Amino acid sequence: MSILRKLGKIDYRWLYITSLILTAIPLFVPIGLSVTLSEPVKDYYAAIQALPEDSVIAVSFGGSAALLDEQEAQFLATWKTIFSLGHKVIFYSTTEDGPMILRDHLGKKVIPEDYGYTYGVDYVELGFSPLGEPGQASFAANIRGVYQADSRGTPLDDLPMMIGFNNFENIDLLIYEYTSCTDIEWAIRQWTVPYQTKVIATTLGCCGPMAAPYYPSQIAGFLSGSGAGTELEVLSGNPGPGAAMSDSKSIGILPQLIFIAFGNIAYFANKFSKEDEQ
Amino acid sequence: MSTLKKEVPKLIVMVFGILMILGSYTTIPIFDTLNAELTSWTMTISAVSVWLGAVYATYANYQLYMRNRKEGIEHLIYFVVPFLVFGLQFGAGILYGVESSQYLWYFAHIYTNIGAAVYAVMFFTLASSAYRTFIASSWDAFALLAGGLIYTLRQIPLFQAFIPGIVGAGEWIMLVPNVGGGRGAVIAAALGALALGIRTLMGKEATVTEGA
Repeated sequence: MSILRKLGKIDYRWLYITSLILTAIPLFVPIGLSVTLSEPVKDYYAAIQALPEDSVIAVSFGGSAALLDEQEAQFLATWKTIFSLGHKVIFYSTTEDGPMILRDHLGKKVIPEDYGYTYGVDYVELGFSPLGEPGQASFAANIRGVYQADSRGTPLDDLPMMIGFNNFENIDLLIYEYTSCTDIEWAIRQWTVPYQTKVIATTLGCCGPMAAPYYPSQIAGFLSGSGAGTELEVLSGNPGPGAAMSDSKSIGILPQLIFIAFGNIAYFANKFSKEDEQ
Repeated sequence: MSTLKKEVPKLIVMVFGILMILGSYTTIPIFDTLNAELTSWTMTISAVSVWLGAVYATYANYQLYMRNRKEGIEHLIYFVVPFLVFGLQFGAGILYGVESSQYLWYFAHIYTNIGAAVYAVMFFTLASSAYRTFIASSWDAFALLAGGLIYTLRQIPLFQAFIPGIVGAGEWIMLVPNVGGGRGAVIAAALGALALGIRTLMGKEATVTEGA
């Protein structure tokens, strides 16, 4: 019994080191496990697929550099899906990191011009504005009230795509990226409810359970965490960083699960030994 | 002085709150215009508040340093390093522009990696705290443990391949009990926010003038 009780007092550093080693192994020796697709991811993809030709997608981008490892697979697979279908895109950033991440993605990793896009005609990048919920409301009602020029300083009226384009009426789908779990409500309150704009969302793994109550009635689909990014890569046929991450997660989580089991075994061993003593 | 500090803020909140409500719930054009104008003000206010926050943070950290300066160099490091990093980023942005290769290099190779490292450090805290606390010591704790484990296993391809039914079980937890509980919480929070809003508009919410 004493051995079982000791399982609850193992030095944490064993957990850390075994997790690190097991997480690293698949990076050198990929396993290539198959991925099962979840309903929110399928619906996210279907929402983009279902758009008529030449639709306009607004991307409210709240990406964070610190959290990029968890979400980059989602972003890259989304950009590839959109560009391969030829839809027009307006990117606007709600975090300071947003424009930098987009510049890296659209400048190096998924270059729109490779898909036949022309800047200002097929896509625009409006840059950062500290929007918050009121800002989302303003953007939906009057884009020029928030942005007079794009991120390069070009007035919106000089961009062919933006001529006569100033509010929700011209937007067929909103892709809402956020990293603060309750922010999903901003999109619902300022886009879905007042204008019935179709919304899909991308977020962190921990925020998925808070997006779920709004799915599928208010948000048509959502991606939460790197796992969903991997699923989208598989679904859309656009391989990316998600696959390697998926293998690492599979193996790296094992010590965590074993330690949770050890903790419970030790707890019950303690409990029953005390009852025996009484 | 008391009136200026307590009654004027309440009056401002009431006037602007009522204008916003009229803009949202009536079709009178003037209120609609005012609503749109006031909404755009919030972005200016939030931008200013960032600088205000920086001033307050500087002052608070300076006071902390002055109180603890005899205890060692670490407090000086806490005070100085954030400003060095801020200066580096701000300086690169001002000198070269945020589109420059210098700024982008800083962002890609320093800022992003530091951010990722700080986030990754959380793994150690989460892993050891799960070991300590994910214990089925009561029925409530068992429900949390079971729900958390099933949903986690559903997310991992290894377990999707080797545990039959884990995908269905994980989806069910996410989309049935989680949705029911989540919607209940949202409705309760909305009712609470409504009550708070009405109290604020009536000038009865003390937190509006807290510290006055």
